[in-house]
Amino acid sequence: MACVVKEKERAGIINPIFTCQPAGAQYVSIGIKDCIGLVHGGQGCCMFVRLIFSQHFKESFELASSSLHEDAAVFGGLNRVEQGVDVLLMRYPNLKVIPVISTCSTEIIGDDIDGVITNLNDGLLKEKYPGREVHLVPIHTPSFVGSMVSGYDIAVESFVRAFAKKDKPNGKINLITGWVNPGDVRELKHILKEMDIDATVLFEIEKFDAPLMPKEQAQPHGETTIDDLTGTANAIGTIALNKYEGGKAAEYLEDTFDVPAVIGPSPIGIRNTDLFLKKLSQMTGKPIPKSLAYERGVALDALTDLTHMFFADKKVAIFGNPDLVISLAEFCIDLEMKPVLLLLGDDNRSYKNDPRITQLQEKVDFDMDIILNADLFELEDRIKKGLKLDLIMGHSKGRFVAMDNKIPMLRVGFPVFDRAGYYRHPRVGYNGAVWLAEEMANVMFNDMEYKRNKEWLLAMW
Amino acid sequence: MPYHLFKVSECIPEREKHVVEKGKDEEITDALPLGYLNTIPGTLSERGCVYCGAKHVIGTPMKDVIHMSHGPIGCTYDTWQTKRYISDNDNFQIKYTFATDVKESNVIFGANELLKDNIIAAFKAFPEIKRLTIYQTCGTALIGDDLESIAKEVMDEMPEVDIFVCNAPGFAGPSQSGGHHKINIAWVENKVGTHEPKITSDYTINYVGEYNIQGDQEVMQDYFKRMGIQIISTFTGNGSYDDLRGMHRAKLNVLECARSAEYICNELRKRYGIPRMDIDGFGFKPLSDSLRKIGIFFGIEERAEAIVKEETARWKPELDWYKERLKGKRVCLWPGGSKLWHWAHVIHEEMGVEVVSVYTKFGHQGDMEKGISRCDCEGALAIDDPNELESLEAMETLKPDVIFTGKRPGEYAKKIGVPYINAHAYHNGPYKGFEGWVRFARDIYNAIYSPVHELSFVDITKDEITEENSFVTRRMKSDINLSKEIVDSTSIREYTGNFDCVSHLREKSYPYLEEQIEKHKQMAE
Repeated sequence: MACVVKEKERAGIINPIFTCQPAGAQYVSIGIKDCIGLVHGGQGCCMFVRLIFSQHFKESFELASSSLHEDAAVFGGLNRVEQGVDVLLMRYPNLKVIPVISTCSTEIIGDDIDGVITNLNDGLLKEKYPGREVHLVPIHTPSFVGSMVSGYDIAVESFVRAFAKKDKPNGKINLITGWVNPGDVRELKHILKEMDIDATVLFEIEKFDAPLMPKEQAQPHGETTIDDLTGTANAIGTIALNKYEGGKAAEYLEDTFDVPAVIGPSPIGIRNTDLFLKKLSQMTGKPIPKSLAYERGVALDALTDLTHMFFADKKVAIFGNPDLVISLAEFCIDLEMKPVLLLLGDDNRSYKNDPRITQLQEKVDFDMDIILNADLFELEDRIKKGLKLDLIMGHSKGRFVAMDNKIPMLRVGFPVFDRAGYYRHPRVGYNGAVWLAEEMANVMFNDMEYKRNKEWLLAMW
Repeated sequence: MPYHLFKVSECIPEREKHVVEKGKDEEITDALPLGYLNTIPGTLSERGCVYCGAKHVIGTPMKDVIHMSHGPIGCTYDTWQTKRYISDNDNFQIKYTFATDVKESNVIFGANELLKDNIIAAFKAFPEIKRLTIYQTCGTALIGDDLESIAKEVMDEMPEVDIFVCNAPGFAGPSQSGGHHKINIAWVENKVGTHEPKITSDYTINYVGEYNIQGDQEVMQDYFKRMGIQIISTFTGNGSYDDLRGMHRAKLNVLECARSAEYICNELRKRYGIPRMDIDGFGFKPLSDSLRKIGIFFGIEERAEAIVKEETARWKPELDWYKERLKGKRVCLWPGGSKLWHWAHVIHEEMGVEVVSVYTKFGHQGDMEKGISRCDCEGALAIDDPNELESLEAMETLKPDVIFTGKRPGEYAKKIGVPYINAHAYHNGPYKGFEGWVRFARDIYNAIYSPVHELSFVDITKDEITEENSFVTRRMKSDINLSKEIVDSTSIREYTGNFDCVSHLREKSYPYLEEQIEKHKQMAE
């Protein structure tokens, strides 16, 4: 009865859990207003990431490529960045921020994106666009390091580093959400409103869920402004919900501007949300209001209906972004379930020392494996070799493992493209806890019915 | 045929020669847009990379192969489960993708050993699979890994396996088209002729440039088998690795997508003397003519004729039901490459729609030449390497009723009230075959006459909210201007097929083919 943390043994990756770093940087860039990222690499590095975003949100997001071709691979591609920036500025008159996002190819050929940005600032921007507010932000995200998760982390820090500027205290807190959905941001802002807290939310992505309007074009785009980013240096404190997706930026603000940082835990499940409220309260001096206690009560009532009746001792495997996976596992344990397998899909060595993981190692009283540098074949292979599971939680790329092995699966994380509208619902906060628990139950109920597995129980529930 | 410069591209005047407007009675010789040139950076072009053209478009539809990308995980992940190339072996090629997961230390010290370990681990994970393809990516091309020598090393150690290497890094050309070319040549150079297929019919073909999108290949395969034709290989949808090594033994290359696969046909003609016949599985007439041509080639035209007769009788009344309701609808035909000329004239003739614009993401001038000349609509706009702002401007000015394009551009079209049909992977395909063509017409009809679509134009703050209808059916919209005769016609009808029109084909038996198999069995004895 123990929790074991180990690396996947097999060489290479069969069915990756993550894509690479530039995708994380691109997810951050679409959250900023008047911003189009310029991905410095082959066209696929941008085109396919736009595709996966459109699969997840059923929306198209603006991202550009420097369109690296053969000559650039030989002679260097910085002229492609220069031209790309110019073309973007000419054609998008409201554009203010262009992150230049590196990839494996341009890091290997040694293109100096910081240098070219200096040149552009001193040359093109002064000469051709005098008086126009333009910010070029270098983001180094070679694909051969980390994953989309670290790419996200690096990009948040790069933006904060580029804009944060010490001024008068603004009385706000910084809330760095990590890689979440519009539904999560809506829920977080609801909590902030209930607590009467003024916050800079990085990133304001509620409008990724964009409407169809009769006479205007409502293309989806994030709404975090340059002023928001600049003001992060003047906040009361920073709460980064996800250690691995925004933690770096929180640390930078603390180290450079003495803005106290609270990093994690992701407010997934009741306990983690309680903790989040406590930290909000400590940071701002605002009390936790009755309204949230009431919401918590509604959530607990919903969970109580499900736990010992349906969830107790159910074995769960969870894969995806580390902060999400760990918090979901903690929540499952509270729900009387047994998360027997956690799959973290990159080679980040620091996961091993994560206090949440050491706590699982110390306190879990059933067998649990946490696999680092994992892939989805690891999950499938373990099932084939006898691992019994009642539920899988993870993103849509794992759908065949669930289907082929007839295990119910709740889609959670990124990307989710095979269920309608999941980005609209929260995973965080008390409302997120309700959504998660009830959806876990519902997928298990469907499975009971299809397999005729005590499905009559539901008839008399 | 004047060049056309979009307002949004006035600041990049080099775009002017990539767009032409077709005038009245104009010939293609009057002007032709430039094509297949380097992309202008920062334009939000819709092009992909060379790697995806090789691996994702052509390599991966092969169904019984471990498809491994040598590079960081992103290239693999991004080209996995994003295209609807199904197969009759439970979609192995969609379910599994393999990456060597190149990391920083490999970039510094080389990744040859890593690649070898990966190949061995992958074969171990799937012991029943003995074939593997490796695709180079930008990163491993730049660090100079020697994929061929590793592949050879493994093949020497494991004689039961066979490995194909494709060196088509993402940067090696203006678009995915470069990758099509590289993998065509690499396959014919390295794999064709290394395996002897079992010949079981007098009539043998390679079916080339067909990717089994939503089952296209299986629909066409059904016609060929009904004619008694043995398909030695399909390049590459639903195709088998070893079958494709035996391409040299076919009597005829039947070529569907000439943009992505004419290279291998031309090489097979040069090297093995196999003739190339360009066919077209889209549209009743082109498809009928194609089957007849193949029939004539083998001297079995009556079999083709019988299929054409049967299928036309079954499906034509359904196609015509939609044609009556799609007449005059304005369409932007915005696919990747060859569909612009596969579809331009046929959707006009057989569905009655007007093609007001064609574009191609990765086509060459030859594709534009064919596409424009087949496009009947005066003022039609032909765009090479389109980008987002130009597409939006084109939609604002042309006011199409529907566009046929990729998934993501379809999403921004939605925002300006233009419905889209997925031209690459289809909405509810397959679109090839007689039934498939009706499904395409059905999807177009459903998109254009969607009652929800109409609601999205109502501004509830200003417009009158009518109490007339508490619901609207598609026919209430589509039939309003039709004559009573057409509305009440019993000789035409709506689509009557099933949601899945492909899986049942896998169970069928084929008398002509069985006859041939029997004959060849006896000949062998």
